[in-house]
Amino acid sequence: MTLSQQILQYLITGVTVGTIYALIGMGFNIIYNSTEIINFAQGEFVMLGGLLTVSSMRILHLPLPFAALVAVIGVALIGTLLNVAAIRPVKDPNPITLIIITIGASIFIRGVASLIWGKDPYPIPAFSGEDPIQFFGAVIQPQSLWVMGVALSIVLGFRQFFGKTITGKAMIASAFQPRAARLVGIDTRFMVLISFALSGLVGAVAGIVIAPMSMTQYDIGVMIGLKGFCAAIIGGLGHFWGVVIGGITLGILESLGAGLISSGYKDAIAFGILLLMLFFRPQGILGKTKGDRV
Amino acid sequence: MNSPLLMNTRNLSRDFGGVRALRDLDLDVRQGLIQAVIGPNGAGKTTLFNVISGVIVPTGGSVFFRGEEITGLPTHKIAQKGLTRTFQNLQLFADMTVLENVMVGMHCMSKGGFFASAFKAPWVIAEERRVRDESMEWLRFVGMEDHSATVAGSLPFGSQRILEMARGLASNPELLMLDEPAAGLNSRETGDLARLIIRIKESGVSVLLVEHDMELVMSISDHVTVIDQGHKIAEGDPETVRSDEKVLKAYLGEE
Amino acid sequence: MRFPPFVRSPYAGFLLFSGMLAVLPLLLTNDYYLNVLIFIGIHAIIAIGLDLLLGYTGQISLGHAAFFGLGAYITGVLSAKASWPPIAGLVVALVGVGILAYVIGIPTLKLHGHYLAMATLGFGIIVQIFFKELDFLTGGPSGLVGIEDMVIFGYEFDSDLKYYYLVCVSLALTLLLSINVVQSRVGRALRAIHGSEVASSVLGVNVSRYKVGIFVLSAVYAAFAGWLYSHYMTFVSPSSFDFMFSIKLVTMVVIGSLGSIWGAIFGAALLTSLPEFLYVFEKYETTVFGLILITVMIFMPKGLLRGVEDAVLAGVRVVRGKGDDK
Repeated sequence: MTLSQQILQYLITGVTVGTIYALIGMGFNIIYNSTEIINFAQGEFVMLGGLLTVSSMRILHLPLPFAALVAVIGVALIGTLLNVAAIRPVKDPNPITLIIITIGASIFIRGVASLIWGKDPYPIPAFSGEDPIQFFGAVIQPQSLWVMGVALSIVLGFRQFFGKTITGKAMIASAFQPRAARLVGIDTRFMVLISFALSGLVGAVAGIVIAPMSMTQYDIGVMIGLKGFCAAIIGGLGHFWGVVIGGITLGILESLGAGLISSGYKDAIAFGILLLMLFFRPQGILGKTKGDRV
Repeated sequence: MNSPLLMNTRNLSRDFGGVRALRDLDLDVRQGLIQAVIGPNGAGKTTLFNVISGVIVPTGGSVFFRGEEITGLPTHKIAQKGLTRTFQNLQLFADMTVLENVMVGMHCMSKGGFFASAFKAPWVIAEERRVRDESMEWLRFVGMEDHSATVAGSLPFGSQRILEMARGLASNPELLMLDEPAAGLNSRETGDLARLIIRIKESGVSVLLVEHDMELVMSISDHVTVIDQGHKIAEGDPETVRSDEKVLKAYLGEE
Repeated sequence: MRFPPFVRSPYAGFLLFSGMLAVLPLLLTNDYYLNVLIFIGIHAIIAIGLDLLLGYTGQISLGHAAFFGLGAYITGVLSAKASWPPIAGLVVALVGVGILAYVIGIPTLKLHGHYLAMATLGFGIIVQIFFKELDFLTGGPSGLVGIEDMVIFGYEFDSDLKYYYLVCVSLALTLLLSINVVQSRVGRALRAIHGSEVASSVLGVNVSRYKVGIFVLSAVYAAFAGWLYSHYMTFVSPSSFDFMFSIKLVTMVVIGSLGSIWGAIFGAALLTSLPEFLYVFEKYETTVFGLILITVMIFMPKGLLRGVEDAVLAGVRVVRGKGDDK
């Protein structure tokens, strides 16, 4: 492989992984936009998506597409459960309390997962074979195309949902003007519930499409969830397109860094970018500066 | 009206997005007086306070305090120069006691740092005693000495307002800015408040007040400035302002 | 403050606590417990510092394990690779971590809420990666061996009992300094910042300076604990300073009760001893941790100590039939 082919290969890997980060970041954004909560358990949705698919295939003997569907619905339900059981009862919802609660939830879910599935990694078969596609001297795994295709559909789907449907618009309204939204009869509590379900859904999808490339395991959620959050911050927290740009940027930089500098520092590069963003442009690439107020 | 200038603004402006909350505002605050800024809702009164106290930066113009420019200085620096304020939406330290709130007010009047405090230098102990005693004095001044050990957040609303003033006074300001001190008070409490503000003036602290309660403003102010849509439309003693046509129009919303 | 009168003065509480620490080994039947107590003491030092930051000042850090690890690694590397005496390692660790915390703290503590949480978390992860990757210094993922035993001015702490008393003195010192800080003008400023940053600043409190100051102090405490840890274990490895440990530290502070130094010690004792004493617990450790965090934050946001106290007082009130006073 020539250097340029290598770089092309890194770019392909970077975009694939970056797309996953973007999906996970989108899960963060959906909840953040409706509640201003950062759900640190987002990564666990990703892990649950993969592992529930594995179990549906093994125990229920479902073919992959149905197993995936069962998993996605299951994780969406777990998302709503998280909202009802751990977020709603909080009397004083200040950020620190909520951060600690969602971290607690994340640890709890991970613990339960390790009791159910043990600590071994599980494979999921690739969706359409594993014959790599040649691409200007680099190779593309068919699963990469699945990842990008699914992510694109999700992004477009959400675009339609938030832009066109009553429920989607109501969710945005209750996020920005909760009191006004209540006055016009929007059930804001229900909107928050939906946002947790959707967030679980998108997290699970990310977990399922990436599993054939990286296996799935009870503890994969921590790092991948945090990376998704990095993507959201880099793009601009709560920004719809920002997270896509942020995720892919992060994926590419990380992959180039790992390939050209050292793979051991891969995560350090990701979090280094995060810190630089937070210090110098906390509103993200696409975010607007907030008016400074009291 | 010939007392020396204490604080003034020149061409002070502040935009929020496209909205101009303050437009080229000139405000003169003189020493030893109670001055009021009034105006209809959304006139820019709170923005004016925020800009003067350094909580937000102006988009144009300057603020001077005793002739020295303080525009854009960090809030704590402005406070150290002798300018402090209260807040319309109370900003008490709700989990601390009444006395502790006032003691925080004396922050600039004392100087024990991390090191000296951690090792309890003898002068820190003496300073602590002084801060405590003087803070009690301030509580006596506002008539709250019996509640010194109460947790601030559990006080009735009216007392919380008074406590915020006591806390501001403890920082030994030359100018105390009161942001709608009568909001949410009943008429008896408002009367007490009026007497307190006059006593504050008599103790040598100048007062700048933003207030909706016209009766209160007209009864205690030496000078009133009226702003509307970020702009000064009238000023003078209460009588002059009361009969000003532009003021009536602004309040009645006529064009 | 509704503690029994004898602990109402923090200094009376301090004396009582110190006395208790001194006689505790006499009551122990098993040397293994001494080992647990040493860990409790080390964790309590970090928890006190984190409580000053999180409980008193209201600023979260999800990366405190990094400062603990830096303290442990700095003295460990100096000892194992350059044969420096522990005391020299201590000075370098405290000064080095203090400077690093200052440099990191200035941009970090401008952030609020989630952003602050994420920045400290990112910092912690980066530091841990360096522990793993700089293997010529740190021994890499498998850890650093060959750290010398604790010797201070020629005196060797060669038994668990001696080490226990070293940790006790260290904890007592940390505790005393912290009580002093909390009871002072600085402590008031910190709590004021927690209550309202804007109100603190209009009273002349330099908010960012105090936030960075307390961040540095709590990082230095953690480094101090790391020093004690390093020379006790004579071996350190990156996995002891991971993100989970940072979370465990936050849990200690939260469980104890935010904004109470005694609570931090209680939390450290509880979380350190639980897994040690309940062997069956090990498999469920993380699950139970998570559950504890959620339940405490929902039902007793002021922490277990005050939560139980409130519940008992409420019970007493009901029994006495005057549930309406308050």
